[in-house]
Amino acid sequence: MEIIDRYIYAVTQRLPEGQRAEIKQELQGLIEDMLEEREAEGPPAQKDVEGVLLELGDPNALAAKYRGYDRYLIGPQMFEPYLTTLKIVLISIAIAMTGMFAIESIFEPSEIAEHFTDYIVSLINACVHGFGWVTIVFLLIEYREQQNTIVKSSKSKGWKPSDLPQIPDTRLQIKMSDPISGIIFTVMFTVLCLYAIELLGVWRSHDGNRTVIPFLNADVFRSYLPIVWVAAALGILKESIRIIVRKRTGKLLALHIAVSIVATVLIGIMLADPTIWNPVFIQQLEASGIMSPGSEGYETVVSIWNGVTDWLIPIIAIFALIDIISETYKWYRVKTSS
Amino acid sequence: MTDVNETINGLLNELRRGTIVIGVLSQLSIPQYGYSLVTVLEEKGIAVDPGTLYPLLRRLEKQELLESKWDTNEARPRKYYLLSPFGQEVYAGLCQEWRKLSISMERIMDESEGGKRDGDH
Repeated sequence: MEIIDRYIYAVTQRLPEGQRAEIKQELQGLIEDMLEEREAEGPPAQKDVEGVLLELGDPNALAAKYRGYDRYLIGPQMFEPYLTTLKIVLISIAIAMTGMFAIESIFEPSEIAEHFTDYIVSLINACVHGFGWVTIVFLLIEYREQQNTIVKSSKSKGWKPSDLPQIPDTRLQIKMSDPISGIIFTVMFTVLCLYAIELLGVWRSHDGNRTVIPFLNADVFRSYLPIVWVAAALGILKESIRIIVRKRTGKLLALHIAVSIVATVLIGIMLADPTIWNPVFIQQLEASGIMSPGSEGYETVVSIWNGVTDWLIPIIAIFALIDIISETYKWYRVKTSS
Repeated sequence: MTDVNETINGLLNELRRGTIVIGVLSQLSIPQYGYSLVTVLEEKGIAVDPGTLYPLLRRLEKQELLESKWDTNEARPRKYYLLSPFGQEVYAGLCQEWRKLSISMERIMDESEGGKRDGDH
C-alpha cells in the first residue's frame, strides 16, 4: 500500500542513514502485524490502514523516539546570543550599505537609478554573507561546547557544587554596548573594503563635479579580499564569544590579544605590498588641480605619500598595542583588587 | 477547571513509562519480536503502544540489555529480541528495587489513607 510506504519513508528519512534500512524493515513487519490483527482475511481496507497509522502516531514523533535525542545546528543555550549577534550584524550591514548608497548618490546624482539597483543587489548579497558568517561562527562555538560537555560528562560523574561559576564581579561584566560597537565597526570596515574601497581617498568637488582620488589600487586590493574575510570572521567570532560569556576572563583576554595580533599582522601584510597603493596618486592630484609642483606643501605631500607604508603600519601597530594594553589593564585591575 | 480524569491520565502515563522497561525485560527470557511482545504485555494488563515499544527495544539493545536476531525464514522477516546475560542481571536488580519501591509506596498510601478514611468514605 502506497500510504504505508509514505509513512515509513516519513519516519526513516529523519533517522541516521545507517539505521534506515533496518527500521524500515521493522516498521513494515509491525504495520503488517497490526493490520492482520484488525482483520483476519483478505486485503487490508483503507480505513484499517489509516487506523493503524493513526495508532502509530505522527511520523515526526516516532522518528524522534527512535533517535532518542534532538539534533540542532544551534542549541537553545546559544540561540539567544546567536539572534542578538545576527540582528546587530544585519542592522549594521544595512546601515553601512545605505550610507554608502547615500554617499554615491550625492556624488553622482545623475546615476542614482544605477546606484539604487547596485545598492539593492549588494545589500541582499551582503546580508546573505553576514547571515552565513554569523551562523558559521556560532556553529563552531556550539560544536566546541557540545564536545566540552561530552568530555566533562565522561570525566566526572555528575555535578558538584564546586562546579558552580562565580557570580561575576560587576566590574568584570562586559557591557553589551562593547561587543555591539565591536561588531558594528567590523561590519562597517568589511563593507567599506568590499564595496567601496574606491571611495577611500581625497575628495574633490569642483564646479559641481565631484571626484575621488583613491588611496588604494582597487584591482590589487581585490586580490587581498580573502584576508579581509578572515579578519572579519575573526572579529565577529571574538565579539560573539564576548556576547555569550559577558564577563572578562583570562581566556577571553587571550583570545582578544590573539585576534588583535592576527588582524593587525594581516592588515600589515596587505598594506606593506607597494602595488596595493594607487600608483598614480600624485599625478591624479596634480591633474585634478588640487596641487601642482612647487605649490605650498607639495614636497611634504609627496614625501608623506612615498613613505606611506613606513609610517602607516607602525601607527596601526601602535593602535593595536594600545588596545591590547588597555584591555589587559582593565582585566588586571579588577583581578588584583578583588 | 481541569478535568480530574485527564490529569490522572497524564500523570499515569508518566508513571507507566518507567515500568514498561521492567515489563519488557520480564518477557524476554524467551525470544520475541516486537508485536508479539505488545500482545503478550497487553494480555497481562500492561498496555504499551508499538510506537513506544519499538524504539525502546532498540535502545535497550544499544545498552546491551538485549540481543537481537533477524528471522528471515518466515513469510515476514522479523527481528527477535532476547535478554542478554547482562540484561538478566539488570532485570533481577530492577525487580528487587521495584519491590522495595512498591513496599514504600504502599506504606505511604496506607498512612495517608488511614488518617482520612473515616472522613472520605
